[in-house]
Amino acid sequence: MNIQEFIENFAAQLDETDEALITPETQFKQLDEWSSLTALSIIAMVDDEYDVIVKGNDIINSDTIQDLFDAVKSKRKPGAD
Amino acid sequence: MSQLTINNVRIAGMSACVPATVEDNRTLPIYKDESEALKVITSTGIERHHKVDEGTTASDLTVKAVERLLTDLGWAPEDVDIFAYVCTSRDYIAPQTSCILQDRLKLRNDCCVFDLPFGCSGWVYGMSIVGSLMSHGTLKRAILVAAETNTLNRNPRDTAVRPLFGDAATATALEFDPDRSHPMNFMFGVDGSGYDAVWAPYGGMRRPVTPEALVEKEVAPGVFRRGIDMIVNGMDVFGFAIKQPPRSLKELISTFNIDTDTVDLLLLHQANRFIDEKIRKAIKIPPERTPYCLEEYGNVTSASIPLTMVSRCSERLAGDDKHCIACGFGVGLAWASMEFYAGGVKCSDMITY
Repeated sequence: MNIQEFIENFAAQLDETDEALITPETQFKQLDEWSSLTALSIIAMVDDEYDVIVKGNDIINSDTIQDLFDAVKSKRKPGAD
Repeated sequence: MSQLTINNVRIAGMSACVPATVEDNRTLPIYKDESEALKVITSTGIERHHKVDEGTTASDLTVKAVERLLTDLGWAPEDVDIFAYVCTSRDYIAPQTSCILQDRLKLRNDCCVFDLPFGCSGWVYGMSIVGSLMSHGTLKRAILVAAETNTLNRNPRDTAVRPLFGDAATATALEFDPDRSHPMNFMFGVDGSGYDAVWAPYGGMRRPVTPEALVEKEVAPGVFRRGIDMIVNGMDVFGFAIKQPPRSLKELISTFNIDTDTVDLLLLHQANRFIDEKIRKAIKIPPERTPYCLEEYGNVTSASIPLTMVSRCSERLAGDDKHCIACGFGVGLAWASMEFYAGGVKCSDMITY
């Protein structure tokens, strides 16, 4: 998995935010449209795309998209990439 | 894998009772405007739920549901050999609510009566336990209740749960039938490491009720809870619910060689539409074979599956045998899947308390 593709998948879950503004450093929970429902669609996206179940704490402990990417990557099955 | 097959037991009838008071999610006072409410409705599929008035308990709804079912089936209270009460919102800490219900329902003193304190997986677990007892052949008629008053054990100022959960009681009548050709098949599952994904931290023996546990606190913006209130950690429950139920149903399908093309009804615990649709698509059952009642009643935990059957499938269940698969999943974290056939089932009309 790579960060650019992760950002694209992440941005696809958002309705109001310009994808061009999303970077690895974006603090996603500070986005205007971020809500508990956005969190659920991110969890579903990560399950679909990466076969990883993100815990509530992974989201709570991640500030940036890079943080979340790292958390997902660390949970991937060996050899998944 | 823990699996179970039960022979010679059939569903004879079902009933459901909901309280008269309805809370519409569009007009809940917890949202800043209607568009916020509509967002929640769109993603969960839950438009409203029924809510008990102060002083009414799950056992009160249960009495109505059971009395109607016995009448509609032509069963006398003394015909009932087993009475099982799946419920976590019990009347008292002690005794078990089922004991009190034995007296209220005029069941026999030698009836086999017990509580099963399961949540969302409870109807499926209850079917396996009651069905097993009956399969020996001496206990011929049973009533399995799945009832809950979710609005009483959650905080009304908890925006995370108020729009989602409702109250209901259901009764399922089971009958020993030595000529029954279709078995009921079960798969079980549990992951206690997720015990705090859905839980009430205070009020048990580990954390007794203290004055502190009764103080309401704002734990997140707009989310108020007391220590004794039921907590639902939405993200953790969601992650569990999109993963484990499809896996459990796939295990059921492969273990018992189920041809999913022959499945007439996929009966899912009514968690929310987003979760349930993911499960449905994962095992490739078409929408017209997957009934929902959550738009009207919300998540009623253990009562979800039987309430769906009574409120949405009564005509289909009254006819020939329908091939059904069901999955209950939630608090525990616990889940269970089952395969069964249901036909000639007498579903009572919906009852309002």
